[in-house]
Amino acid sequence: MTGSIIDIRNVTHKYKGSEQDTLDNVSLEIKEGETVLLCGASGSGKTSVIRLINGLIPHYYQGDITGEVYVDGKDISQTELYELAGVVGTVFQNPRSQFFSIDTDGEIVFGPENIGLDPKEITARKDGIIEQMDLKDLMGRSLFELSGGEKQRIACASVAALLPKIMLLDEPSSNLDWESIGTLRDIISEWKKQGKTIIISEHRLWYVKDLVDRVIYMEDGHIGCEWSGDEFRSLDDNDTRSLKLRPVNIQGRYEEIFDFSAKEKENHREEFTDGIVLKDFYFSYDKKPYLLFKKKYSEADGEELSLCIPELVLPKGKVISVIGCNGTGKTTFLRCICGLEKDCTGTIAIDGKEYRGRRRIGLSYLVMQDVNHQLFTDSVASEVLLSMKDKDDARCCEILDSLGLLKYKDTHPMALSGGQKQRVAIASAIAAGAEILLFDEPTSGLDYSHMEKVGELLHDLASSGKTVLVSTHDPELIECCCDYELYIKNGRVISFTGSLEKLEGIRRNAI
Amino acid sequence: MTARLDPRTKLYMILVVSAVVMMSATTPFLWAVRILMTIVPIVLLITEKHYASAFRFLILYTSALVINFTCLSEQSEGFLMAFLVGYCSIIVQFMPAMITAWYVVRTTKIDEFVSAMQKMHFPDGITISLAVVMRFFPTIKEEYLAIRDAMKMRGIVLGEGNIARMVEFRMIPLLFSCVNIGDELSAAAITRGLGGKVKRTSVEILKLGIQDYLLITLFTSVLLIFVVFKYFR
Repeated sequence: MTGSIIDIRNVTHKYKGSEQDTLDNVSLEIKEGETVLLCGASGSGKTSVIRLINGLIPHYYQGDITGEVYVDGKDISQTELYELAGVVGTVFQNPRSQFFSIDTDGEIVFGPENIGLDPKEITARKDGIIEQMDLKDLMGRSLFELSGGEKQRIACASVAALLPKIMLLDEPSSNLDWESIGTLRDIISEWKKQGKTIIISEHRLWYVKDLVDRVIYMEDGHIGCEWSGDEFRSLDDNDTRSLKLRPVNIQGRYEEIFDFSAKEKENHREEFTDGIVLKDFYFSYDKKPYLLFKKKYSEADGEELSLCIPELVLPKGKVISVIGCNGTGKTTFLRCICGLEKDCTGTIAIDGKEYRGRRRIGLSYLVMQDVNHQLFTDSVASEVLLSMKDKDDARCCEILDSLGLLKYKDTHPMALSGGQKQRVAIASAIAAGAEILLFDEPTSGLDYSHMEKVGELLHDLASSGKTVLVSTHDPELIECCCDYELYIKNGRVISFTGSLEKLEGIRRNAI
Repeated sequence: MTARLDPRTKLYMILVVSAVVMMSATTPFLWAVRILMTIVPIVLLITEKHYASAFRFLILYTSALVINFTCLSEQSEGFLMAFLVGYCSIIVQFMPAMITAWYVVRTTKIDEFVSAMQKMHFPDGITISLAVVMRFFPTIKEEYLAIRDAMKMRGIVLGEGNIARMVEFRMIPLLFSCVNIGDELSAAAITRGLGGKVKRTSVEILKLGIQDYLLITLFTSVLLIFVVFKYFR
């Protein structure tokens, strides 16, 4: 059959317990060997289309569905999920929750074992995949030790081991850094060469733009419009902005931000006289054995240190982005500032007042990547009150109002959307009187308009006098709100510069 | 495939050790058997290169043993003594089971475990649920650590002095994230063919080796000794 390998006919779908249709009369045909990109805002139905094709709708996520879906000639509603395992492979968004084994080898053979292949054949396939995707150095390791990017590579490999004709990727780049996204693109382009049919649902458009043959724009559960690959590649920033998409053609600008080697060469350090002074931030994950007293880390420990910042002055009331590769000390830096790493004994000085040890804890607040971890109570208001030393209802309402949360005052935090949860976490940070707000990847996996909102929020926080540090891989966020860029490598500050325009000024002066 | 144990042997070890810790040792001979039984998993941990945990277990167990035999007697009085008696006897009594369980969880791949269960003709439902439980331990740990960090930042580690709230603040976020992860995990596993009607195969070739037979014999005799001493003398 050379016609369409996927045929979705007039599908309308609604999740169980939900009022609104997630898909509204969607029809889509995809030919064998095509690479198709699904884009659109969160909640526009991209993930639901992916789930229609891999059969999770209607077999796993229940709901009301009308219409027909045929994949590789099979009627999905009449096909059991395990029969699709060798036909459709899916790479999911969250690298943490899509592996079943605890070791890398077991994960790759997991699928083939499930469909009952001969062990000899499985081993042959596994060796082939390892060779092809260059995974030798990841073999024989615990999946829990791997970075997000490495986990996603294993996830791709374990799906590929089933040799499916159709590959589905559901926002695969959400948790990845710049380098890992490059690797992911190489994997996808290799699959394309092998003639697989590939469907990618994604917010970040730039890295797939050269791979796609066709782009489907989803809007409120139906197909808004459709572009050919060439039309898509010629979309400029104004077009994408009006559709609430992230920009398509930004690779040049990205490279500027993430051109780490240039930053290392320039080694420019902005100096501030008035600001927040961080002093003696040393920390190492390789703990030294000790008998009675812990040895304090100092600069003399040299290479062993995972974080080594003798002195750094942060300007007050600005948004500062913290950039650098994965596993290079960004998160360690944030954790040390807010006092989560007890062994890091640095001091923070604000307005001449010095804070050290446990006293740093109230001074700064880290909004975690997964905000679900930091919401504890049963209503938004009590969440904020929990942070206040003397409970003050009026102040609580004021804070909630400033973040647009007042009408959710009595709602359970877990019933809110992701962005709202993030704002509740910020509200409790403000209530605690934090001067420094730290954000760990606040926009990974957000669509354009949500990302923009976070950007505005960070900007507002800075204008109200808070100092905001954001660790991020998201150049669009850096562009839209950051005043300064702090580049960290191996736990050392390599460069600390103004935003891009300022940087260009410096370069021009240098020439 | 050097001295690796078959998962079936490991499961048998857990079974025997759990049974034995429920029976008390009354004579020096029984104590010797019990200590021998505890040393085996510690040695096994060392052969699997888990030196740190082997060392920790060894220190904890020997110190508890030593305190139990030298310092404490039926005449011990006072709060500290009462505390020590309780503490040490619990460790001495139940530590062997803990060490063995730790050893098994740490050194068994899920894949091996599943194929061992299949060889013993356990129903798939039980096998897969147990495999998921094993998979979930590290996840729960990761999530728990993140939540504890968040609590530290808010200064509510002690739950404002209220024990119920202390537990509530830990459990609620933990349950929410575990439910979410579990849901995504099963969706991912199902799309890769888990739960099909086809018989699952495995690349792990399981065969009982000489070391397995040795250990099985050893643990069977331990069990027999304890049963004989408890019920037939």
